[in-house]
Amino acid sequence: MAKISELLPRSAIVLNLQSKEKFEVISELVHPLVAAGAITEESEFVAAIVRRENMESTGIGLGVAIPHARTKAVSSIVLAFGRSDSGVDFSSLDGKPSHLIFLIAAPEEQKTEYIMTLARLSKLLRKDEVRIGLNKAGSPDDVVRVILQHES
Amino acid sequence: MERILLYVEDTAGMPAAAAWALRLAKGMSCRVFALSVINPDSPRRREAQTSDAEERAWSLLYEIEDDAFQKNVRISLLLESGEPLQKLVGISTSYDSELIVASADCRLVISELVRQSSRPVVFVK
Repeated sequence: MAKISELLPRSAIVLNLQSKEKFEVISELVHPLVAAGAITEESEFVAAIVRRENMESTGIGLGVAIPHARTKAVSSIVLAFGRSDSGVDFSSLDGKPSHLIFLIAAPEEQKTEYIMTLARLSKLLRKDEVRIGLNKAGSPDDVVRVILQHES
Repeated sequence: MERILLYVEDTAGMPAAAAWALRLAKGMSCRVFALSVINPDSPRRREAQTSDAEERAWSLLYEIEDDAFQKNVRISLLLESGEPLQKLVGISTSYDSELIVASADCRLVISELVRQSSRPVVFVK
């Protein structure tokens, strides 16, 4: 199974998210994945993400959110990462805004890989040193380096 | 009823407990809070002390979340560290859940959970 660092193209790392609202942030993160060809039907993917966000909180606390969807609109499992200085409301149970946002897009048929990617990313982001590293990262290369250092 | 707290453990009976909780939640249009607890003091130390335990806990939670999504059931995931019984009872109070659902083969001491909880508890076999 691919590592998190291998699923995150540098072109899909946005260190200064411009949007302040959840669905605008998601849109900002979806665009590079569409440009990379990983998401084949943007509107279908966004609809799946919106449906999930309307049903559950993908903010996992600690300033982290992981919006995700598994649909036919995705050709291969892929991640995007965005960082927001001001924070975005992802309805986290701890009530705090999310500053580190990882978006996961997966093909419909790859349920196991999708679940495992969510689990491994969630475990990784509960580590203080990972979140500190991601908050300090000055470039997409730094982001990938922080993840590589801490993923087993 | 608005909130069901589902206690999630890696046991053979867990899928049945999760399915029962999701069915009930769908029927009553309520939200499920799925809780898994990593116990650092567990006698099953080798598991508890490796990050595998946390990864397994998250994967169980996300499996349930994916099922909930397919069934149009609202869900929130919680992963906590600590003594499982204390965490479960504490979270049932802080999230004001009206029902606790657990698998009958969970590793909690069932009589202690029933004694300490101020909420009704259903064990699914």
